[in-house]
Amino acid sequence: MNDYPTIAEAAALIAAGKLSPVELTRHCLARVAAREPALHAFILRTEARALADAAASEARWRNGTGRGPLDGIPIAHKDIYNTAGIATTAHSRLLQDHVPADDGAVVRRLATAGTVMLGKLATHEFAFGGPSFDLPWPPPRNPWNTECSAAGSSSGTGVAVAAGMILGGTGSDTGGSIRTPAAFNGIAGLKPTYGLISRMGIQPLSPSLDHAGPMAWTVEDCAILLQAMAGHDPADPASADVAIPDYRAALAGGVKGLRIGVIRHFHESDVRANGATLGGIAAALEVFRGLGAEIRDVTLSPLADYQAVGMLVMLAEAYAVHEPWLRTRFNEYGELFRDRMALGGLIRAADYMQALRRRRDLCAEMAAAMAECDILVTASAPNEAPKLASVAKWLLFNTPNFTFPANVTGHPALALCTGYTAAGMPLSIQLIGRPFEDATVLRAGHCYEQATSWRARRPAISG
Amino acid sequence: MQPKISAADFAVLAAQTGLPLTAEQLRELHQGYATIEAMLARINRTRPRADEPAHVFRAGAFGPRP
Repeated sequence: MNDYPTIAEAAALIAAGKLSPVELTRHCLARVAAREPALHAFILRTEARALADAAASEARWRNGTGRGPLDGIPIAHKDIYNTAGIATTAHSRLLQDHVPADDGAVVRRLATAGTVMLGKLATHEFAFGGPSFDLPWPPPRNPWNTECSAAGSSSGTGVAVAAGMILGGTGSDTGGSIRTPAAFNGIAGLKPTYGLISRMGIQPLSPSLDHAGPMAWTVEDCAILLQAMAGHDPADPASADVAIPDYRAALAGGVKGLRIGVIRHFHESDVRANGATLGGIAAALEVFRGLGAEIRDVTLSPLADYQAVGMLVMLAEAYAVHEPWLRTRFNEYGELFRDRMALGGLIRAADYMQALRRRRDLCAEMAAAMAECDILVTASAPNEAPKLASVAKWLLFNTPNFTFPANVTGHPALALCTGYTAAGMPLSIQLIGRPFEDATVLRAGHCYEQATSWRARRPAISG
Repeated sequence: MQPKISAADFAVLAAQTGLPLTAEQLRELHQGYATIEAMLARINRTRPRADEPAHVFRAGAFGPRP
């Protein structure tokens, strides 16, 4: 086994009897022990559970009942995913002692697939708007440079995957919370089509924008995780009853003839990304062109329109979720979440409805663009990870982000690494696909990773 | 960015939430409300009256499937 196996590599070794799930789990636990003091990726480590899961997996493989490519693979869950008998805090003082009775739907699915659970991972408080320094746990640090931000809100997952503590993990994405930490930590993260993965048993933020999704070192590993996570759940009213394809098999086939539309104005003028990010996108488009894809430009409404709709809907819905606690336990929240959320209480019902009517326009606009393109491309983030520091409270509302459009429209969107800055910080591109054509997005991302060498580099941290 | 709403009018609006805001918190939220005003201004209000929202109510979505 190499020092940083992907899920696909480890699964092949385990299935061939050349790698023990217990050995792999001990390898990851040792790395967690060595690196966690500097990275703060975990809220809770569950070593005993991990070793029990690994032993059970090993027994299954030994007696010929291995469950597939995730059986014996060490993962961890963002700490908004309910885990039976294990604290689920949402990185908040308000849920510090919250121990769910049941696993969430995705946690249950991944456990059934045989995964080994190493613990619960840091997030922004209730998956919104950090980093915060006044919570019971510190924000994670970026493994490529521990002075830098890990983004969020699925920050712990991004950090733990990049640092090789786990081989994959779960995230959630309401406005970019899978894709931005994937970008800053140099990994792959998929926000699937809205409705593809059940939200049951995940602490809600904004029900019409919340998505669960996989995060891993490679796109192929995201496909393997998605296979176990996706599927209809009658308990989730937004869950789609659609056929689930073989995502890993669909990675083959290349991108020849794929029509890629570049939403150039998003990242070149609406919010201009920095030179390194723009260079990464331009070089990635040349890779796709060289592989046979057709590249064209696409024009949509200004990025700020998507941001306004997404943020107003999100604040209104999240305020409704949190209103009882905001009224009675206001100062137990971290300051950032508390004050930003308070503004959600000032959005009138008529404003919310107008935002939803505009959302319908934007969904139609995106659908029309995708009638002519198989993939749309923009940045994942305007720059590489900045220094980890307190952020201006209202900056989040002032500055449109590149990830919100796919939450507003529900389209699948993948962030993947396009290289590194001169200082060694990861860069990222975002690929957006048609609803329920997540396999096409994954295929394009996998093809790009196979054609480039970015996955060969890992953070140079000790331990 | 300065809010268009006056501090006095904002205080009336904020009081309707029932949140236990201190005077300092109220002042800070008033400043932050300018960002909400800017986003609200981007939402087109001159729409056909029959325009539907993105979320559609489906009566059959809640009972057992046939």
